Amino acid sequence: MDQDVQDRALPIANVGRIMKQILPPSAKISKEGKQLMQECVTEFISFVTGEASDKCHKENRKTVNGDDICWALSSLGFDNYAEAIGRYLHIYRQGEREKINHTKKYENPQNQTQINRAPPPPLLLSRVENPPPTNQSG
Amino acid sequence: MRQAGAYSGLLCGGVSGRTGPHSLPLARIKKIMKNSGEDVKMISGEAPIIFSKACELFIEELTRRSWIMAIQGKRRTLHKEDLASAVIATDIFDFLITLVSSSESHAVGGATNVMEVETIDCS
Repeated sequence: MDQDVQDRALPIANVGRIMKQILPPSAKISKEGKQLMQECVTEFISFVTGEASDKCHKENRKTVNGDDICWALSSLGFDNYAEAIGRYLHIYRQGEREKINHTKKYENPQNQTQINRAPPPPLLLSRVENPPPTNQSG
Repeated sequence: MRQAGAYSGLLCGGVSGRTGPHSLPLARIKKIMKNSGEDVKMISGEAPIIFSKACELFIEELTRRSWIMAIQGKRRTLHKEDLASAVIATDIFDFLITLVSSSESHAVGGATNVMEVETIDCS
């Protein structure tokens, strides 16, 4: 049961790390404190997602997207989060457009020889778990 | 060619190369979103990404407010009673009151924390 509950929450290590970053170095956090924060943030995701999903339903859309989440945050009183997330979303989408342009450039056979001549710039390698792309336009 | 493949894979496989590593696992966030209701059908790829940022802000704010509670209790260890007190004291966290109340019912000193809340005006 406990393992099942843990699988449906965010990892306690990640949550604990974020908590520590905001507190003074001398502060300590009890294990129960981390566990409760784990539950709170999981509830936060469900709460906001429910609001965003309701909006999609009313507008006859099937895909919950970033704008819906920003709207839901604002609607539920998290206005400052919605502002910060809106900026974050904008930066993310810019990055996506740049990525697409970059990919197109490398798909061009004429530029393939360029790959051999100039090695690609080093990228930040991350072990963060990424879901497979499931973009659905609706 | 292998080099190009690896490069393309990174670009196609995720966003970490562009927006930096996320502090929370996106697959888990997506799973929680899916479990939030039967009417959540499809989720765009960007939704878990911006949710990871929103969750950071949420954890930071609730932690900060909880720490105020701990300090007022003359403690330097943050306990779950501090989280419960912070939730009760903050309007936007009302949706968590049921969650922290059921948790606090097993905690010692819960009543004391509730009383302490009356002396604080954080909203």
